[in-house]
Amino acid sequence: MKTALVTGASRGIGKSIALTLAENGFHVIINYRSNDTEALKTLDEIKQRKKSAELLKFDIADPVSVENILGKYIETHTDDYISILVNNAGIRHDNLMVFMNPEQWSNTINTNLNSFFYVTRLLLKNMLTGKFGRIINIASLSGLKGLPGQTNYSASKGGLIAATKALAQEVGKKNVTVNAVAPGFIKTDMTDGLDEKNLKSMIPLQRFGEAHEVADLVAFLASEKSSYITGEVISINGGLY
Amino acid sequence: MTREQVIEKINNFIVEDFEVERDKLRPDANIIETLEIDSLDLVDLVVLIEKNFGFKVKNEELTAIRTLGDLYNYIHERVKDQ
Repeated sequence: MKTALVTGASRGIGKSIALTLAENGFHVIINYRSNDTEALKTLDEIKQRKKSAELLKFDIADPVSVENILGKYIETHTDDYISILVNNAGIRHDNLMVFMNPEQWSNTINTNLNSFFYVTRLLLKNMLTGKFGRIINIASLSGLKGLPGQTNYSASKGGLIAATKALAQEVGKKNVTVNAVAPGFIKTDMTDGLDEKNLKSMIPLQRFGEAHEVADLVAFLASEKSSYITGEVISINGGLY
Repeated sequence: MTREQVIEKINNFIVEDFEVERDKLRPDANIIETLEIDSLDLVDLVVLIEKNFGFKVKNEELTAIRTLGDLYNYIHERVKDQ
């Protein structure tokens, strides 16, 4: 059984990805930062379906926490390495740039982009020597086209997309693929405050997406079926550009 | 572990795992050229070192190693008291 780590898997798209990967036969490591209750709910849902998962609590934005907790996990699980990584966890601190403070900028870049480096570099060695790996980065439409009020978020996700393409070229020869998924408006806590009625009129499919629709795409990229796709950014946004 | 034992052990796994002829293994030989690998393949070398000598190789230490002699010195320094 292959092991998959999903960051930020206690809620939203991450939770849906964790459930879907478990359903598809992966042992899922549910990473979360603080919300024990929601993380346990995700774990319980997977266990109720008689699938395999465990919790791993650490802050992806803190390199020491990543090194100590994820690093220790890797050291103590030598039999079966984490071959699927879904870098999903992310935050939003929207503001017009003229009003944005340095913390809103740096926290967003740190959690959404730097964390990709902190987490991925620890898992790469085993993927490279194991000659198999799937890295799936959850980017955003915001990282492709830029959205007003999100200079920090757009920069972080745009950076993640560029890193996806660069890393894909570095590690392709070891059968490790690196791809990004760029969701548009998906119904989660993160989009709760948005004016759905107004926004959906701009979307050709006339609705917000569901988390499970993103999860199905991630599950495809995590599977053997996606073996010849790497360095790609796949939009999932109902036709919104 | 003596320096000779370290060299013997390293040369053995290089010959076996990278299929390099033993007479090419001289201290002044450039690792990447001699082993006919690229820099990404160094990760395989790291894993072999860790498996054979039982210590963790730090990435920043590895980047200073250019020749087989550097590698012998680095590993001998780490395991000489074992």
